[in-house]
Amino acid sequence: MNDFILMADAGCDLSAKLQEQYDIKVINGHLVLPGKGDVPSFMKWEDVTREQFYTELKKNPSDYATAPANLTEYENAFTSFVKEGKAVICVTISSAISGSLDFATAARKNVLQNYPDAKIELIDSLRFGPGFGLMLVHASILRSEGKTFEEVSDYLVKNRNRFHQAGWLDDLSFVAKKGRITHPKAFFGTLAGIKPIGEFDSGGLTTVLGKAKGAKAAYAVLMKYIEATIEDPEDQYIFIAQTNRYPQAEVYKKMIEEKFKPKAVFINDVFPFCGINIGPGLMAAYYMGKPISDDLSTERALIEKFIAEAK
Amino acid sequence: MSTKRINGIHLEKMIKNGLAFLQQHEEEVNRLNVFPVPDGDTGTNMVLTLGNGVRFAKSGEDAGAYLRSLSDGMLLGARGNSGVILSQFFRGFAVEMARCPVIGPGELRNGLIRGYRTAYEAVVHPVEGTILSVTREGIEHIRSQITRNSSIESILSMYIAEMRKTLSFTPEMLSVLKEAGVVDSGAYGIILIFEGMLKCLYGEVIDPVERPQAPSETPLIDLSLFNENSEFSDGYCTEFILQRLVNSRYQQEFNRDNFISELRFFGNSIAVVVDGMRVKVHIHTLYPSKVIAFAQQYGEFLTFKMENMQVQHNEHDRIIGTKKAHKPLAVIAVVNGEGMRSLFESFGCDIVIDGGTTMNTSSAEFLEAFDHVDADAVVILPNNPNIILAANQAVQLSKRRDITVIESRSVAQGYFAMAMDIPDSGDVKYRISQMQSGIENIATVSQTVASRGYSYHEISCRKGDEIALLDGEIVSVGSDYAKTIADTLSAIPDIDDKETCVVFRGANVPAEREEELYELLSARYPLMDFEFINGGQEIYHWIIGIA
Repeated sequence: MNDFILMADAGCDLSAKLQEQYDIKVINGHLVLPGKGDVPSFMKWEDVTREQFYTELKKNPSDYATAPANLTEYENAFTSFVKEGKAVICVTISSAISGSLDFATAARKNVLQNYPDAKIELIDSLRFGPGFGLMLVHASILRSEGKTFEEVSDYLVKNRNRFHQAGWLDDLSFVAKKGRITHPKAFFGTLAGIKPIGEFDSGGLTTVLGKAKGAKAAYAVLMKYIEATIEDPEDQYIFIAQTNRYPQAEVYKKMIEEKFKPKAVFINDVFPFCGINIGPGLMAAYYMGKPISDDLSTERALIEKFIAEAK
Repeated sequence: MSTKRINGIHLEKMIKNGLAFLQQHEEEVNRLNVFPVPDGDTGTNMVLTLGNGVRFAKSGEDAGAYLRSLSDGMLLGARGNSGVILSQFFRGFAVEMARCPVIGPGELRNGLIRGYRTAYEAVVHPVEGTILSVTREGIEHIRSQITRNSSIESILSMYIAEMRKTLSFTPEMLSVLKEAGVVDSGAYGIILIFEGMLKCLYGEVIDPVERPQAPSETPLIDLSLFNENSEFSDGYCTEFILQRLVNSRYQQEFNRDNFISELRFFGNSIAVVVDGMRVKVHIHTLYPSKVIAFAQQYGEFLTFKMENMQVQHNEHDRIIGTKKAHKPLAVIAVVNGEGMRSLFESFGCDIVIDGGTTMNTSSAEFLEAFDHVDADAVVILPNNPNIILAANQAVQLSKRRDITVIESRSVAQGYFAMAMDIPDSGDVKYRISQMQSGIENIATVSQTVASRGYSYHEISCRKGDEIALLDGEIVSVGSDYAKTIADTLSAIPDIDDKETCVVFRGANVPAEREEELYELLSARYPLMDFEFINGGQEIYHWIIGIA
């Protein structure tokens, strides 16, 4: 029985087209935008372009805020599927940066009181943005191949630490605001020329493993890093996410296509639900590869080696 | 008159006369400063260095002992490159005289030789046409003429005459001097010191120049920082001089080592200097009353100073007085100006030393800074070529192996070093190597207005011209500041491979100019990333790091 719902919160950054293509139900979160108040999160640039949005965000970051779908919204969403007798796998944005999983957990409990036989599986992606979205694409493909609810749930839990991020976040002030980074945050607003290279860690955040001076050096390090960690690239869809770094993402896409010959490389936008918390400086590729070590020691050693070689 | 031997008392008088003579000519030496940017006050630096030695030195008949204390004080107080080299010269001289209570002609000759050799060793890339050349040729040209019967006066006269001869050749040795039409300022300074010393032997005593106390010795304190809600954990910085008394009411047996081990019960950062019956003590303690009671067993206080370390000294103290929390890696940076100081603090530097407009930070200031950080490893960012020597000297004096000088030659390089740090990494060595790589291949363009006329190779400027420098060399002169910057950028050999331009705006430059400069530069280099930072530096209107 593979007729189950794959659901995700707004942190997955799958465009409307991809949501449809892979039949993934997205539950909207909330955005607070200057002059607009509380609006539902969106994954389409309609009222504002990507450039406008991130340029304005950079100017007044404190005027922006996000919130996950609340308890009732989760309850309503779950109930609508459960009523139809559908099982639900709901994957949430990393619990390290959002309360989405907490709300979903409480909602699930409430729904189970009314529908004791309902099947609702909650999975913490430990990822965000397109890294999280890519996980859902893999799940959807498995579902279409006939894998069961249990098999897909099991796959996600066992393999989530194989979803890599290879890229940079060159404006860390937004991450610092979230309290993740201990370094004085003022500095990170002005990290001109330096590309901090980050990978997902086991805690559901990204950790800076090294820094490259300049984009050219960074590309060289990243290509080597992907090569050392990716598995079966020719069978993969690779996502490249960028908040406001489109030209760099295009360069990166071309390099990845030439070197790894994957099935396809998609440049994805990071929409406001994640973008407000990441800021304009993200440019990273997401792919499946070797499991990421719990303390990132393997990955750190690789990055350090490649940075030394790039000098 | 002919003096065959001098002891410590003679020597002290001579040195003081040398210092006074140098002080008389301090401004003249400063004016020899060839550069059109006031970034090195050689005369002032040499006066401060020798002055610190004289203040620190212990009077006594033993010439060797006097010289050792003099050179210790000079090493601590050395400011600027000329100061460091001068202090190294005297260190060599002192080492040679270590076992000489009196100095005769042979000892003097050997001391002068050891002096210049030590000075050469202290400099990574010795430059001829400087203090090094005059001290070397001064003695090498006359050493064979010195005999057992030579008088000290005749040796010094010959030495000074030879040094002056070499001085007149310094423009031939160093083209920058020739172009500017001057002789080397540091070389001239050391000659003045020896002339003053010789004058002393001839009975010509020069009155010392009284100078106002440096502000750092009377720190202004913001008392509001300690109030009814404060927690007290840092203790008191307690310093006193104790006069031991022979009266039987006081303990007569005094042993420095035992005294120190007793003091350890009351606090830390202990320093004890014993000079005859006087004992100078420095200790950080939570319980000064216990220290007082303990010390009073031996005598009474000549002076006593106590400061609440919880209260931060204000900017006049240059260095923040409180000890910082323990960290794996602490960074000490030298900058000029309040804007730059807060900028580097926001970058995460633990101690930011304001080098002042002439950037003449002494080794002692670094040593003091070392005392105020608690870290497994320390990195120094001198951010100026004139400070690298003093920083290295401070590390040597401290005998600590956990301190690394990353030889940043501009605040732009310092910025990139800080930016490359990975504070989250637990590997301190890796962090340091990342910071080290930060300063590599960074070109620094600095722009200001010439403070004097200058001519070198094909470049010449008049006072008031806009000038721009690339890594310390003037590249462009004109009337439009932005054009001088653009021209200087285009002189960077691999400018087309550069990706980033970080621009620090000076204290007196209006913010609107950023837009103006951005438009010009981004039109020329459309692929380059530009970042403008309000640097607040004083001398340079713009400092630009290009990576």
